[in-house]
Amino acid sequence: MIASMVAAEHPRPDPDALLVTAAREGKGRLKLFLGAAPGVGKTWDMLNAARRRRAEGVDVLVGVVEAHGRKETEAQIGDLPLLPRQKVRYRGHALDEFDLDAALARRPGLLLVDELAHTNAPGGRHHKRWEDVAELLEAGIDVWATVNIQHLESLNDAIARITGVRVTETMPDRVLEMADEIEFVDIPPAELRARLRSGRIYRPDLARRALEGFFREGNLAALREIALREVAQKVDHDVRDYMRRKAIVGPWPAGDRVLAVIGGDASADSIVRAARRLAEALRAPWIVLHVERPGGVEDTRHALEMAAQLGATVEIRAGTDLVRATRELAAARNVTHLVIGRETPRLWRRLLGLTLTRRLLRQDGGLAIHIVPAAGARTRRAPTPRAPNGWLPWVAATLLVGLIVLAGEVLAGTLEHEALGMLFLAVVVAAATLWGLAIALYAAALGFLSWNILFIPPLYSLTIEEPRDVIALFVFAGIAVTSGWLASRVRLEARVAQGRIENLRRITGFGRRLGEPTTETELLLAVVRLAADIGGRAVVLLMLGEDLSVAADSGGAAMGGDDAAAASGGGTLRGDGAAAGGGTLGDGVAARRASLAADNRHDGLDEGAWAAALWAWTHREQTGHGTGTLPSSAWRFIPMATARGLVALLGLRPDPDAPLDLPRTQALSALADQSAMALDRMRLAAAAARGEAQAETQKLRAALLSSLSHDLRTPLTGIRGAAGSLRMSWNDLSPAARDDLLASIEHDTVRMTGFIANITDMIRLESGEIEPRRRRLPVAGVVESAIARLPDIGLVTTTSVPEDLPDVLADPDLFEQVLVNVLENAVKYSPENAFIRVSAEALAGFVRISIADEGVGILPADLPHVFDSFYRAQRGDRTIPGTGLGLAIARGLVEAMGGRIAAESPRPDAPRDGAPGTVMHIDVPVAS
Amino acid sequence: MSGRARILVVDDEPQIHRFLGPTLQAAGYAVERADTGADALRLAASRSPDLILLDLGLPDLDGQIVLARLRAFTRVPIVVVSARDRADEKIAALDAGADDYVEKPFDIGELFARVRAALRHGVASPGADPVLRLGPLEVDLTHRLVLVEGGALTLSPREYELLTLLARNAGRVMTHTQLLTAVWGPAHHEDVQYLRVYIGHLRQKLGTEASRLLVTEPGVGYRFLPGP
Repeated sequence: MIASMVAAEHPRPDPDALLVTAAREGKGRLKLFLGAAPGVGKTWDMLNAARRRRAEGVDVLVGVVEAHGRKETEAQIGDLPLLPRQKVRYRGHALDEFDLDAALARRPGLLLVDELAHTNAPGGRHHKRWEDVAELLEAGIDVWATVNIQHLESLNDAIARITGVRVTETMPDRVLEMADEIEFVDIPPAELRARLRSGRIYRPDLARRALEGFFREGNLAALREIALREVAQKVDHDVRDYMRRKAIVGPWPAGDRVLAVIGGDASADSIVRAARRLAEALRAPWIVLHVERPGGVEDTRHALEMAAQLGATVEIRAGTDLVRATRELAAARNVTHLVIGRETPRLWRRLLGLTLTRRLLRQDGGLAIHIVPAAGARTRRAPTPRAPNGWLPWVAATLLVGLIVLAGEVLAGTLEHEALGMLFLAVVVAAATLWGLAIALYAAALGFLSWNILFIPPLYSLTIEEPRDVIALFVFAGIAVTSGWLASRVRLEARVAQGRIENLRRITGFGRRLGEPTTETELLLAVVRLAADIGGRAVVLLMLGEDLSVAADSGGAAMGGDDAAAASGGGTLRGDGAAAGGGTLGDGVAARRASLAADNRHDGLDEGAWAAALWAWTHREQTGHGTGTLPSSAWRFIPMATARGLVALLGLRPDPDAPLDLPRTQALSALADQSAMALDRMRLAAAAARGEAQAETQKLRAALLSSLSHDLRTPLTGIRGAAGSLRMSWNDLSPAARDDLLASIEHDTVRMTGFIANITDMIRLESGEIEPRRRRLPVAGVVESAIARLPDIGLVTTTSVPEDLPDVLADPDLFEQVLVNVLENAVKYSPENAFIRVSAEALAGFVRISIADEGVGILPADLPHVFDSFYRAQRGDRTIPGTGLGLAIARGLVEAMGGRIAAESPRPDAPRDGAPGTVMHIDVPVAS
Repeated sequence: MSGRARILVVDDEPQIHRFLGPTLQAAGYAVERADTGADALRLAASRSPDLILLDLGLPDLDGQIVLARLRAFTRVPIVVVSARDRADEKIAALDAGADDYVEKPFDIGELFARVRAALRHGVASPGADPVLRLGPLEVDLTHRLVLVEGGALTLSPREYELLTLLARNAGRVMTHTQLLTAVWGPAHHEDVQYLRVYIGHLRQKLGTEASRLLVTEPGVGYRFLPGP
């Protein structure tokens, strides 16, 4: 009650904010030295502060510092230890690069990294240096880094407009958010220019040019303002985060919501950035909408990915009416601000007032509309597969035109040359339909020349006499170009649509194909086949038995060792079973793999591929070929993950001539997801079955324990009860009753002793302490004396021992004990007046004594256990009394004498509708 | 109680009957013997015993089933006597309507005390006596007054309910589920933590002497002893 009152009075900290804090724990801290322009002294400041840190005893290490030949900066490095650079060879140049792995291995207390936006040399693990830093932070290493404001992705456009210089090395804005601290390194523009003039930043000749270009006073002031604003925003963020974490209620912004609408043109990125800044300023959630229209395949992947990265909700709608889709979404989500790009609409649309801007303005009074200036580029089309550009279409087109020329020569007498023009036109249209625009234009040119020279008077010259022929020629050219263009466009769209349908069919087919297999091996084979169909010269599935983290420590070299396992040939699956192959991956972590090669070449995974696989495994993201991480690898690795975790890695080596395009990447992702689920489902089912078996064993063990406890407690209860009764009611009990109680105590003590003797026998047997003294024995005598020891309880025993039975080699006492134990067991489970038959026969090297009863028999499930200690058919404590050790001891004794014992139930000659009964077979070695 | 109380002893172990029969008779009870669950049900119906001592490990029917079938037609006090020592078995038996549970091997004196307590319950109709006296404790149900050695205690409503429930059933084990359902309602029948806290408070308020009467049955529930 008290707790709930407290909760009502004080708002609780925002769980999201706490989560972020928790996520940061255990990670390294990042401090950024942010500057508005080069030369403000970021590196100098960082080094200076780092030296102070070192003096305080922190283990500072310079990861990478670009001094640019500035003496002051170099001097600041002083005695700070430097991490050796990594030498990377790229296109004949030797490049010095930051050595990420060395830094990770060295684990300094504080690492200095200059120029965060730097692009790494190809072949490195990451494309960008900030990604290296992210990995360092993840590994728990504190990092200080420098960066200039113009490298921020969302400011890229604005800065390009202000300074006229487009910075190519950008990094996403979330890098700023990664920073725990930002130090703004600032000097006034005039001072910076003075520094530049004095040659302290660049060589004098460069400095002069810089002063007139990038370092104009206006530019610097603008950059400085942008940087200051960015830092202020970060400070604002920090305050807000703090307030949320500490549950301080502050004035919260009203419900603004920003919607950005993007198309496939280059301004898409600018629109996303603008929307993001607006949303940030309003502290509002934001949505990015792309409407897919039929016909146009617009490449918005980059913009949408960026939007998602920057924190937008991405919506993709299909439809023809962009305005309607926008309006519907805006209404559904209570959008208050709309961000769109400036269009370059067709003239007729503009004249009719049909531009997007106009229509939106007309219809939506309640929306603030922001229009982002166009970046000046045309619509970016997704690269579409082109027709095979062989020489064949050209030859065919030429031949077709030649055919018409021949036909014209034959028909020249009867046909007007205008009519011949129609035939040439037909060829052009045919060429356009069959081979596309280029061939159509070629056919048109060829046809036009042939027609003009060969058929339009004056013949054999390009000149034309009749004015109407001039008009005909123009019409010819016009129709040829238009029809060619239209036909090729239709063809292109048809092909794109075809590709989409194919992709869709492929993806829907996965479910069926993945549902068919019943074993894991079959499933893996199906996955590999499907992946190969999508497009891979070679496909490999990596599945790590336990977890890869063990292998990750041992590094790529160890993993590369068994790459030969994937070698294969001829487009067929390897014969030894796809999932059964393998070897070991790292330190004893077994990797099973299914592999299929689409060509004859050796398709082993090289070291780079293994590195990509490792990365994909540990970071659960697509890695390798065509991705941001380790793009130089020939392989692409796609993690197959479900909500419960990573299941496997799908590795694919695409054909170098046919890189993975968007639809195929989508299909692969879908395949990875679906197969992960299928695999997971299969494993869950297997685990459930295993769990059931385990629970069964557990239940059995509990039953055995309770049975043992019961057997020990029952005589104890009798003893204690009788003793207590005697003490309590001595005078009230008759002498006869007292006698009986005393006898009962004796009886239970004997029972208890017997039980304990059995247990000690068992322990002795198990520890091999009993040593049989074996000698030659006739079987008949032993059987007789064993039967004589049975209590007389109305059972009929018959024996049949052949006269000529060989003697056995056994310990007489132990052998008799075995028979007694087995007989007692038979008696226990038999009804009154039933038969117990003892028979003997000679086997090879053994004499078999069989003891058959007409009792309840043994269930098939119990058969394997009847000779186990404490096991009794019909579990629980309400069974037939006994120790559950008789048969176990019998087996132990028989085995000690070199024999064996087995149970059979129902017995072979059991009546069909009677009791099943049991036969125990005891085999004892023959005396030679 | 008119005449001798009749006790039905249900056990498949002859050794148990061998000492329980004479001793119970010597203590003045009439004894009926049943060796199987079927016998137990038949005798419970035909002989209307005043109390049943029931073993759970019977050869024909499990004791838990016998218990459930008995409870279908009789409210006679049932004391379970069993070698099963697992808490969940005890709870199941008590929740199925057993009045008490004695673990084998038992002290004969303690068994007799439990038998006496259970018999008292079978006879006393609830609410007959508005004042419960248990050792130093006195609970006046009409005035909602709790006295320890003459001094009044201040109890919260929940504490009072818990204490009276236990005191009314003095001598019996009350399972966690029974207590939670009665005091907190069925929605809380698994919140054993509540119970621990309140029992702790009660013990503190009762003082050393009286709180000795409030016994914890580990894993099962609580029992208020009928007297010191």
